[in-house]
Amino acid sequence: MSTPAAVSWQKNPALAWREIDDETVIISPNDSVMHELNDTGSFLWKNIDGKKSATELADLLAENYEVTPDIALSDTQALLEEMSSRKLVVTVPAGGGVSP
Amino acid sequence: MTATLAAGATPVMDRLISRTVQKHRPLSVHFDLTYRCNERCVHCYLDHDDHGELTTAECLKVLDDLARSGALFLTFSGGEIFLRPDLYEILAAARRLHFDISLKSNALLVTPERAARLREFGVRRVQISVYSDIPAVHDAITKVPGSLQRTLAAIPILLEHGMQVKLACPLMQENLMAYRGVMALAEKLGVPYILDLTITPMMDGSSGPLAHRASVLSLLPVLRDPALHACKPQPSAAAASAVNALPPAFGSAVSSGIESLAYEDLPCSAGHNSCYISPYGDVFPCVQLPQAAGNLRREKFEDIWYHAPQLERLRAIRESQLPTCAGCEIRSYCERCPGLALMEGGDLLGAYERACALAEEKARLAGFDAPLSAFHREREIASIQTTPEAEFASLASDSGSD
Repeated sequence: MSTPAAVSWQKNPALAWREIDDETVIISPNDSVMHELNDTGSFLWKNIDGKKSATELADLLAENYEVTPDIALSDTQALLEEMSSRKLVVTVPAGGGVSP
Repeated sequence: MTATLAAGATPVMDRLISRTVQKHRPLSVHFDLTYRCNERCVHCYLDHDDHGELTTAECLKVLDDLARSGALFLTFSGGEIFLRPDLYEILAAARRLHFDISLKSNALLVTPERAARLREFGVRRVQISVYSDIPAVHDAITKVPGSLQRTLAAIPILLEHGMQVKLACPLMQENLMAYRGVMALAEKLGVPYILDLTITPMMDGSSGPLAHRASVLSLLPVLRDPALHACKPQPSAAAASAVNALPPAFGSAVSSGIESLAYEDLPCSAGHNSCYISPYGDVFPCVQLPQAAGNLRREKFEDIWYHAPQLERLRAIRESQLPTCAGCEIRSYCERCPGLALMEGGDLLGAYERACALAEEKARLAGFDAPLSAFHREREIASIQTTPEAEFASLASDSGSD
């Protein structure tokens, strides 16, 4: 089941990560698994701030890269779902805070 | 352009190392917060006085600089890090800056409360020195009665709080045959271990610790031990994708532990994508390479990292161009360290006795017939060439005295 596009996303605060030359490396401390985002993934990662929804992130992606809004949204949602399944990002409940 | 996410430590790490080495990005930093220590290990290469450690504010500024420069892997060490009263403040800052944090400690001061705080601040891994599973042997090295018992009591606490623990066992005369006990201990605890054959001179170059170094001859039973070569664990799918899941049995207790084929023709990572920072703010390529490239009290990290001539010289070194070692037929058995080459042989590019003797023994164990390092071959040739003259001089001197 996919997450509604209006829900806000936040980085998992437990992660170690660094953007190095337009690519982002993320390490989850619990299992020590390394993850790597390409430049558009890194762009989205930088903009995940606990306030923006998938739609807002996709709008930013479309503004900054040569990609149509539809493709930007489907790409953004796919990446968020994948990162969520790996516990790299979490959704923010309507009242703020971080949902588990 | 599709946003992608890749996972798995080995391919990601290899790509990361390739990129950082190519562009000289400081990926991994070893930061000693203090040289003060609550143990007095007989082989230690540090003095234990405070000569003016970086203040808390200075440490936090260093961390800011490092994060901005792209450093990801950060190891806090000492001395004993728990002797810094501001340790948690420093860890909290490292956490805010999203570093991957490891610690090196003797763990004497670990309590459940302290372990919980370490975890709260995102510490992923703690490396602990264990010299033996026999208290009398371990405590005689640390010179602290009861230290093994206290160190071992800390390990389950750290594990229970979700941190990885790795045992590091430097081997020296005093504990040479204790490695089997340390291996068994690691197995019992379910943690990785590393055996380190390196005992280095003091950082000021004095050779005191070398008196504890085990001779190459006495290391032979260790090098021959099939338990260290034949029984490597098979990686599970989960372990294979984790950072440093399967460390080798032998290695350096002071290095980052990040190994990769991506280093190719480089002597090691020092100065290419890793460095060492002393408690006084001096930046070195490595803790074992005492050529300060600059000081963080006077300069910004990026200025030192990208412009220090010491680092530029180091980056130009290629193993295949080393004057003596490049042509050595047993080079693949050698673990030459540029820092030790400098400290023990006086030449960053040179060979040194210990590495050559160990490489010869390893090659012999691998089936080489009478292996001879290029360094020893050169010395043998030189001795043959000088012998007639020396003999003539000796004869002349004898006849003159008649």
